[in-house]
Amino acid sequence: MSDEHRPDPDEERREFREERESLWRITLAPATWVAHFVASYGVVAVTCAKAPDLLGAARLGLGLFTLVALAIILWLGWRAWRQWDVRNTGDYTNALGEAEDRHQFLGHAAVLLALISAIGVVYGTLPVVMLETCR
Amino acid sequence: MSDTDQTGPTGPYPPTADMLAEPVPQGEQDRTAAELRAAWAPPTGWRYFTAVNNSEVGLWYALTAFGFMLLAGVLALVMRLQLALPDNDLISADRFNQFFTMHGSAMMFLFAVPMFEAIAILILPAFLGGRDMPFPRLSAFGFWCFVIGGVFVMGSLLFDAAPTAGWFMYPPLATQDEGPGSDIWLLGLSFIEIASIAAAVELIVGALKCRPPGMRVNIMPLYAWYVLVVGGMILFAFPPLIAGDFLFELERSFDWPFFDPTRGGDPMLWQHLFWIFGHPEVYIVFLPSIAIAAMVIPTVARRPIVGYSWIVLSAVGTGFLSFGLWVHHMFTTGLPNISLGFFSAASEAVVIPTGIQLFAFAATLIAGRVKMSLPMLWIAGALAIFTAGGLTGVMLAIAPFNWQVHDSYFIVAHLHYTLFGGMVFPVIAGVYYFFPFIRKKMLSERLGRWAFWLIFTGFNVTFLPMHLTGLLGMPRRIFTYPEASGWGWLNMISTLGAFVIAAGFVVFVWDLLRSKGSQTQVPRNPWDAGTLEWSHDVPEEYWGARSIPHITSRYPLWDDPDLVARMDAGRYYLPDSPHGHRETLVTSVIDASPELAQRVTGPTWITLWAAAFTGGAFIFPTFHMYPPAIVSGAFAVVCILYWLWTSTARPPEHGMRDAGLGLRLPTYASGPKAVGWWAVWITMLGDATAFASVVFGFFFYWTAKPDFPPEGAMHAAPALVGLAVLVLALSWALTLGARHWNGAGRVGAARGALVAAPLLAAGGCAALIASVQALEPASHVYPAIIWALMIWVVAHAMVGIIMQLYCLAGSVSGKLTPRHDADLWNVTLFWHFLCLTVLVAGAVIGLAPGVL
Repeated sequence: MSDEHRPDPDEERREFREERESLWRITLAPATWVAHFVASYGVVAVTCAKAPDLLGAARLGLGLFTLVALAIILWLGWRAWRQWDVRNTGDYTNALGEAEDRHQFLGHAAVLLALISAIGVVYGTLPVVMLETCR
Repeated sequence: MSDTDQTGPTGPYPPTADMLAEPVPQGEQDRTAAELRAAWAPPTGWRYFTAVNNSEVGLWYALTAFGFMLLAGVLALVMRLQLALPDNDLISADRFNQFFTMHGSAMMFLFAVPMFEAIAILILPAFLGGRDMPFPRLSAFGFWCFVIGGVFVMGSLLFDAAPTAGWFMYPPLATQDEGPGSDIWLLGLSFIEIASIAAAVELIVGALKCRPPGMRVNIMPLYAWYVLVVGGMILFAFPPLIAGDFLFELERSFDWPFFDPTRGGDPMLWQHLFWIFGHPEVYIVFLPSIAIAAMVIPTVARRPIVGYSWIVLSAVGTGFLSFGLWVHHMFTTGLPNISLGFFSAASEAVVIPTGIQLFAFAATLIAGRVKMSLPMLWIAGALAIFTAGGLTGVMLAIAPFNWQVHDSYFIVAHLHYTLFGGMVFPVIAGVYYFFPFIRKKMLSERLGRWAFWLIFTGFNVTFLPMHLTGLLGMPRRIFTYPEASGWGWLNMISTLGAFVIAAGFVVFVWDLLRSKGSQTQVPRNPWDAGTLEWSHDVPEEYWGARSIPHITSRYPLWDDPDLVARMDAGRYYLPDSPHGHRETLVTSVIDASPELAQRVTGPTWITLWAAAFTGGAFIFPTFHMYPPAIVSGAFAVVCILYWLWTSTARPPEHGMRDAGLGLRLPTYASGPKAVGWWAVWITMLGDATAFASVVFGFFFYWTAKPDFPPEGAMHAAPALVGLAVLVLALSWALTLGARHWNGAGRVGAARGALVAAPLLAAGGCAALIASVQALEPASHVYPAIIWALMIWVVAHAMVGIIMQLYCLAGSVSGKLTPRHDADLWNVTLFWHFLCLTVLVAGAVIGLAPGVL
């Protein structure tokens, strides 16, 4: 990185300061999986118990919700990817005790969690796609 | 600004290299060491049992859990003898039922989960270079509750009165069971579950707020990450079971028909609540054990772990996904296939993060220069066995295969492969690895290898044939079988193997308990490990860390050769105890910058008394002795209030303290900077989960039953429900107001609010109780669940009233001042959750019947 592109150190310190981080943020993608899972289970359980004829509509609704959930996870993953910033730093381990390392580490963890959450959402959609009846 | 007004740290941080390089004069070293030694001196003689130090409580906890494990193992041996031959009559069917129920219950509730808590209490502070856990007396209270509950539940075997319905207590078998067995299970284990939640709160706060300065989240030991994840899982997994126990015991004691289909109930609700707990439970015991592997493997490979972020992903991801698996224990219950599909899919998905950590371990071993040691031998055995159990798990996650082998010995084989590989072997590896840290002695290499090969061989001889036994059709939990079944030879092999396992455990126990007095002093860091626990003092000191270091890397002992010498010299933080207090350092959540010198509590009898009376409150109802239970519960409340009043959140004599390296730290904090506030927050998250489970029950009945609420049923009086919600919400608003007014110095207004708030809350309780009087809870599940919600709210409101009065008393007596208002912050936080509970309960009781 050439000198003129180097960010102002004060700005960097602001970007990496502790108040801007939260451990909750890395759980947002898995929480999206939870929402998708609970919605799938709840909608199907109520539909099959109360109105089995509406299962087609429920499957369509859940399919759309899957797209929404994947879009959210994709967006979270993209933000986390930028936070990880591995293409600029080349640092895959972030093993040092600097604020910048902590910042990028949380990005890395969030990228990986977005990935696993996306896989979870896709898996959770398969029954909706493949099964046409409650039985 | 005067000393008492200062609420933040002052002085240089982080320390510079020059500050750290400056030597500490010998005279000062000796003086401060003597101060610390005096403050942390363990109680001696018969007062030894008043100790609350994590090193004592953790050790007792671990030994007790291990003792229960051995007892449960003996039960298994007797069962194996009974099953060795067809048509055997060594023990009766009823005793066999008691034995398998207690074998499973004890292994899960008295061994696996408490063992995690024990090990974490024992070693987490050392990983974090800390003095102790943030709430030592809470650990001690949890331990004594565990002892009382465990002895009570196990003791029922001696009176031939143990539960017989299996470790998951399915109704209607368990609800209709004669005798006190099911009650012993429900009340005894609920008591222990509460102790587990207390430990989880302690461990989460410990990992978040008690790390050494500079240990940011990206360099904390992986063990701390696992503890954080598992603590969080306990908070969301145990409360559904506690809610289930609550409903179950109401049915057992008062005949409220939650699980009785003849009166609108549904046994399936118990299965849901049990397995929402039960499946995450498997990961709750697996993750902390595999965390031990994550600490042993870098040491053995002599290099940093490969893929730290990947292992964090794996722990957090497994923690989440494991909540989407519970129905795979219920594949044969007739749920819609499409519902089964979701759980089958999640069960396959959880394999991915679980596998990732194993690959990270393998990569570390491949990339390192492996020095094979005894702990590594056990880890290797664990990985082999767990992988086999994981593969049968993948098979079982597929619903059609599951239907074929459900409730057969294939399941028995699978679950023992996962639990031995995922829990028993890594924990034994941890015992060998951490023994020099815990006891300052080494275990025998030769005996350890004998124990390993006996247990490893015996395990496979016992459980590998069981896959076949199950496929040949042998159901689990039968006390005998006919010769014509052809299962005899397989069972004989399993029985022989079981005794080989037992022989291995005899060797292990002998090695563990034999006198090691003649051994030379162990080296301080016998495995050349890189993490902070190996900065421990040999011979033993009780202060935890001589001084709390500033940490800048994941393996500080490898990366900073001067670190241990500087810790020993008292160069770092809190090297002294000028006022003779026990203190530990509280730091910020993300970056661990120092915030507070937290005073922690010391030895006391009060935790034992509190545990004994709490035990009475749970044990007397087992025998339907309600008046003594109520008296015992009241004494427990008094003990806990005395304990809180005399030793927590008292205004300090000195508002600020020199913490070392030029840093001055406050000694008192309230609100989100105080560890107590975090503990309340975390506890209430668990409490809210339990409440949500009861509400889930209400809506479960609605989906599962066409007649819920039944035609023409009586409903709660809407006006009274509305009044109760309004008045309780007002009480909440006044509590919040009291905190604001007190903080602004308007002490009179705050006291006025704290007088009015409990009166309003009491009125709200009365209105809510009155609103359901027309309903007959034993007649149908609809009035029963409304009563259950009412009881839940009223019980919490009563706790809320005690808390408000506690703050009022504090304000009047000078314990609670505008500056020292931690109690009021914590009570307000409790009331936030209570207000939410009231609103939800009010909506369910008052509005839902009209909408549904």
